[in-house]
Amino acid sequence: MDKKERRKAIIFFSAVALIFMIGAILTGGHGGEEESVQVVMRDAVMHDVNRISLFGLKDVNPGLIAGFMVSGIMIIFALICRIFVIPRFKMVPGKFQMLLEMVVGIFDGMAKTNSKHLNGFLGAYIFAAGSYIFTGTLFELLGVQVMTTAGHAISLPAPLADINGAIMMGCLSYLVIMSGGIAGNGIKGIGKTLKDFSLPLSLSFRLFGALISGALVTELVYYYTSMSYVVPVIVGVLFTLLHALIQAYVLTMLTSLFYGEVSEKVEKKPKVKKPRGKKRVTVVKQNT
Amino acid sequence: MTGVPLNIDWQQILLHLFNFTILFGALYILLYKPVKNFMEGREAHYADMDSKATQALADAESSKASYEKKERDFDEEVRAEKNRMSKEIEAERERRLAAARGEAEKIISDARGEADREKKEIIESAQKEITSMVTDAMEKLTLEQTASDAFDQFLDAAEEADK
Repeated sequence: MDKKERRKAIIFFSAVALIFMIGAILTGGHGGEEESVQVVMRDAVMHDVNRISLFGLKDVNPGLIAGFMVSGIMIIFALICRIFVIPRFKMVPGKFQMLLEMVVGIFDGMAKTNSKHLNGFLGAYIFAAGSYIFTGTLFELLGVQVMTTAGHAISLPAPLADINGAIMMGCLSYLVIMSGGIAGNGIKGIGKTLKDFSLPLSLSFRLFGALISGALVTELVYYYTSMSYVVPVIVGVLFTLLHALIQAYVLTMLTSLFYGEVSEKVEKKPKVKKPRGKKRVTVVKQNT
Repeated sequence: MTGVPLNIDWQQILLHLFNFTILFGALYILLYKPVKNFMEGREAHYADMDSKATQALADAESSKASYEKKERDFDEEVRAEKNRMSKEIEAERERRLAAARGEAEKIISDARGEADREKKEIIESAQKEITSMVTDAMEKLTLEQTASDAFDQFLDAAEEADK
């Protein structure tokens, strides 16, 4: 395709998009949403309206279903890699092998850099957590539709945009940090970890806040049909990609930093006895 | 669920935890560990190659050093051998020279002896010849004298007898 043809194609697609946009604006409406924007946004945070039945056992937040689906996708992907890709690994890697090695290498390197001791488990944990946050956040881009118990069709959000998922991730990260403290310093490690008692809260709500804000902005943008052109490319895709990367990095970095801090072995300082004789001499001198 | 802020549900938290634990285990077994093992294996392979190359380099260096030492030793040996040979040659030369000198002296002394002997013989033969010549002459002379003396004596005797 030469320059002229490319320019023609761009003009054609822009014209089609413009026609659709004008049509949508002229016809009006709220894009098929049944609830008001306030209800939609409140529900995105509270999940008190749109709940999904978990095999008829319990009504759960859509984030949990999204979590199961993300885990399923990731496990299948890992299984395919394990069966078809990893056995064919070469000493000089191809593109996909390089990508896998890069991801593992990033988390392994992060664990080794931030924690000099006991970093084997930490590397595996932040690899899983980082991959879950990243994939889970990107999952909302797919817009997988499910039916709620209230009979509405909703698209599944990121698993960690659910407060329960974020609390799980924050508290689990805190427990991992504490386990590092115990492994490194025993009982003292627990004390060192408990000093940062606000950490599970800050980890959980930072994650929840970041992801829910992204979800809310996306929800707001998609709510109005007139904003469904061009804007979602930036808000929906770029913002999601960015905060997927940033949140994965922030949580894994914080976890590995705190883990390294509490697992570092404390060396006992040798007690220095103060010489008594010298003191007496000075007293004598002062008296004289 | 009322009363709990943000509708936090402990059961759902546990379900999330269950979900993530399974994911963590699966990712660790299926992806993280094999990829890390492969990377470590490759690192070990290259480290091994590196150590082997370093070892080979060290071996080559030591071989070079030993070769150079051998070369130096050989040069030293050659030099020593050369010295020894030249000394030997010198000694041999001296010996041969001395032998030649001795032989020459012997030849000269033999020649002298021979010459002396020949001279002696010549002198002796000459003396003999002279002696024989003198003897002959003397004999001749004596004979001549004897004859004349006998004649004289005869004459004297005859004269005396006459007297």
